[in-house]
Amino acid sequence: MSTMQADRLVDDYLSRLEEAAAHLQRSRRAELIAEIREHIEAALREEEAAGEVAVRNVLERLGPPEEIVEAAEPAPAAEQRPTGKLEVAAMVTLVVPFIGWLFGIAMVLISKAWSNREKSIGTALALLAVVPFLTLAIVDSYSESTNSTFETLLFVLWVIGGLPSALYLGLRLRRAD
Amino acid sequence: MEPVQTRKSLSQLRRGTVEYCVLALLRGGARYGFELVRELSVVDGLVTSEGTIYPLLTRLRKEQLVTTFWRESESGPPRRYYELTDAGREALDDFAKEWARFRDSVDAILTKEEG
Repeated sequence: MSTMQADRLVDDYLSRLEEAAAHLQRSRRAELIAEIREHIEAALREEEAAGEVAVRNVLERLGPPEEIVEAAEPAPAAEQRPTGKLEVAAMVTLVVPFIGWLFGIAMVLISKAWSNREKSIGTALALLAVVPFLTLAIVDSYSESTNSTFETLLFVLWVIGGLPSALYLGLRLRRAD
Repeated sequence: MEPVQTRKSLSQLRRGTVEYCVLALLRGGARYGFELVRELSVVDGLVTSEGTIYPLLTRLRKEQLVTTFWRESESGPPRRYYELTDAGREALDDFAKEWARFRDSVDAILTKEEG
């Protein structure tokens, strides 16, 4: 029996653990692997038998890597994000200028279906719709002529201004399903 | 081997109670991870895989029921020690009281004579 073989058993075990923990946050995964590695080292120092037998005993007692990860956080399949009427209503409302943007953002913020990051991006996108409107207002106050192509474009942009936000949030929901 | 349903119930029961056993083991002072895990795993029927204790320790730390620190070891690399916080001690005391009541109630029903 070589120590090399024993080392390989440990390496195999740790890479199985790493694979099983792929869905964990990076720092969380690194910490878990470090803890298990520490445990194996401490346990081997206490084992009476040496080499492969000792390693096998220690790993056996630790249990399957998948089970350890399961105890940390169940695999993503079990993690269901609620998608309901509130989310659909929020996206539809976001398309309506002004009042819709406000209520839409409020509904997005209340919803639990989006992460905080998604909520921030959705809100920022919705707020962007104000830009063409303000530009239009400024342009209008300076020029007498109405209906220039530029103004029409700005008008269209602010009317559909809520769409990017609604689309983005909708796509994020579909990715979670 | 127990039937599947029994096994499931017992594993849920275990999951809920083992963390308080960890807190209880820390009552006497700071311990390092490996020592803690070994002590739990020798208790019959409490822990099936030693590795599952580590995620539990992380959870306890996140909930601020325990804190950790590193200490030099005489043999080998530094070790991560776990220590009970005041909140942890409080949680443990609450659980111990409730558990005694719970256990007595379940025992009373389980051992009640039929009829």
